[in-house]
Amino acid sequence: MPTWILVVFAALAVIPSARADGIAEKATLCASCHGENGVPVDPKIPVIWGQNAGYLYVELRDFKRGARASEMMAPMVADMPRDEMMALAEYFSKKPWPNLGRKPADAATAERAQAVANSAQCSQCHLAGFLGASLVPRVSDQGFDYLLATLEAFRSGARANNVWMTDLMKAYSDEDMKALATYLAGL
Amino acid sequence: MSIGNPRISGGVALSALLALGTTFVTTLGVSARADEVNRATLYGDMTSVSQDMLNHAGQDANNFLMTHGDYTQKRYFPNRQINTMNVRHLHPAWIFQTEVKETQETAPIVVDGVMYVTTAFDHVYALDARTGAELWHYKQPLGAITVYCCGPNNRGVAVYDNMVYLATLDSKLVALDAKTGKVAWQSDIADPELGYSETMAPTAVDGKILIGTNGGEYGIRGFVKAFDAKTGKLIWTFSTIADNSTGVWATKDATGQDLHRDIAAEKAALAKLGDPAKKLGGGVWQNPSVDLANRRIYFVVGNPSPDLDGAPRPGDNLYTDSLVSVDLDTGKYVCHFQYVPHDVWDLDSVSATVLVDAKGENGASVPAVLHAGKTGFVYVNDRKDCHLIRFSEAMVPQDHMYALPTASPGTRMLPGANGGVEWSPMAVDPTLNLAYAINLHQPMHYSVKSAAYPGGDKLWLGGAFTVIAEEEQWGNVTAVDYNSGKIRWQVKTPQPMIGGILATAGGLVFTGESNGFFKAYDSQTGAELWRFQAGAGVNAPPSGYSVEGREYIVVGAGGNAQVDAKRGNNIIAFTLD
Repeated sequence: MPTWILVVFAALAVIPSARADGIAEKATLCASCHGENGVPVDPKIPVIWGQNAGYLYVELRDFKRGARASEMMAPMVADMPRDEMMALAEYFSKKPWPNLGRKPADAATAERAQAVANSAQCSQCHLAGFLGASLVPRVSDQGFDYLLATLEAFRSGARANNVWMTDLMKAYSDEDMKALATYLAGL
Repeated sequence: MSIGNPRISGGVALSALLALGTTFVTTLGVSARADEVNRATLYGDMTSVSQDMLNHAGQDANNFLMTHGDYTQKRYFPNRQINTMNVRHLHPAWIFQTEVKETQETAPIVVDGVMYVTTAFDHVYALDARTGAELWHYKQPLGAITVYCCGPNNRGVAVYDNMVYLATLDSKLVALDAKTGKVAWQSDIADPELGYSETMAPTAVDGKILIGTNGGEYGIRGFVKAFDAKTGKLIWTFSTIADNSTGVWATKDATGQDLHRDIAAEKAALAKLGDPAKKLGGGVWQNPSVDLANRRIYFVVGNPSPDLDGAPRPGDNLYTDSLVSVDLDTGKYVCHFQYVPHDVWDLDSVSATVLVDAKGENGASVPAVLHAGKTGFVYVNDRKDCHLIRFSEAMVPQDHMYALPTASPGTRMLPGANGGVEWSPMAVDPTLNLAYAINLHQPMHYSVKSAAYPGGDKLWLGGAFTVIAEEEQWGNVTAVDYNSGKIRWQVKTPQPMIGGILATAGGLVFTGESNGFFKAYDSQTGAELWRFQAGAGVNAPPSGYSVEGREYIVVGAGGNAQVDAKRGNNIIAFTLD
């Protein structure tokens, strides 16, 4: 094979990776909180490695719109165009879900959590294994502190970018939420 | 030379060319044929599905050509080889495992020994219906954003001519070559980012592919569309939401029960807000039935948006929660009948319509259309003008029905928002005048909370329904005499039922349960005659077919997202030795 063909192939191979490198560069900023290896630096910060791309995109968009309030995230996305948000979402969705050293819930907690999940019909959206898809996040093996804080924020309305979750969570007690967060974190 | 492996035969063809030159064409011919045999029909040129075959699908004891059997949607398979006397010997002929272990609602379609099934997330498989061997596999490349309620379901394909038609979660209509699974064309149905999605199977008739839409939980404006089967070009669109959606300000439902509406408040809201038609919902979850003689289709329209909050949508919200008939050729309105005006419970109309001849008010037989509601009633309507002839006895407890939703935690009411009868299609045995429905008993709290339209990619329910954890849930199989509305027999099941049912000329009905049991009942009496444990929820409608003189019953066992039935990835075909 002539050398020039190899050169063309090599050049072609670089083009897509250049864009990927750009996103990877941007993603280094994300890593300062969400973790270089996917394990968040603080337990109240969510895992985004391996999260569903549609969900990650909509959250970035909602941070930008102010629909989801966050002093930390709002400035990060203030000038971010849709394509870039989508590229970041795709980038993180392709990373492996990290090992948080999960601890399965004890039997009594699991039973209570399953009763809540059945009552709230969580599986209709979060699907088998609570893995979600598209716009619906994976919530299994997510960090306990983040899960509990999120459930509480939905219930109080502090997290306002999914009113349905607010209406739903109002039906459940603190103990229900704690059981659910413990159970999901241990899956 | 191996006929079954084109790669090997190609290699032989190359050696033949080198050795003899002139044999090349002949050998390549064999190779091409081998390729065809491997991928195509199992019975010569009987791949093509003609309109004549579809017109007579209800009398076809070999094929299962439509989601619900034929254009009347009776799901009545006219083969009696498997019957009440021998069904106890039924056993698996084969089990095919798909790539997708998620909610499974497919209705298998069988054409001359080739079966087409779908899975969650829009995969299609063509299988050898005798062995379960895979012929081809198509996977819809879904984008990052798909918006759908109640699971990433798919209820199956339509077949017509030499094509297989799939409607997808990202709201596309895809035509596949029936022999190869290759895409022939793809058309956009609607914008998925505005909450439109597809889980229903299309219907093929007279060169048209008919399709509705999901999205009643996302503030869409629903429709039924007809596309050209050959080109994918849009032929007509019928909006399931009337431009004037307010209607007659009905205070009672179809059965005369009070809906507790505050008409004065609604009229005041109408003066302030205007007609809510643009975001009023009205999805269509199941195939229309087709009355070929009158060139009309009959379908039911789902709930208004937002589901639980009536404040932003004054009026009857036509044609939500209604039976609707339109002209097959033009898509023009013919008639409608609303079951639950101004629904604030999601007690909508989702199960497929069924065409039968039933007794009219004066006792004479009239062309009728049946629908099983989430309310737990089977409704019998006149096909001529859509008016209600009768409704059945309630198939499930109705407790405080139409009590208005209140602030969280809400008001208790039965049936729950999944029914009664969900999307699950009925079956009909016309020799017994019985319609068979599967039901849920799932007590729920209904709560209401007004919220602004959140954009098409967020659920817009205007409140919440929660299953009451302390109360028992169950289901049932119910046989209703549609000439009298009386329940002929009823069998209780340990869990709420979602899936579908099949009746056969063997005097049987087949249906599955969330706990994995797939059962056969005597269609006359409800006696259980056979059961099989599938290892995962059987929440899909069964189909019947025959190949080489042997009858089979086939069903998907993959569980269900809506009732969280145990997931699996099985397509199971049963037969007798």
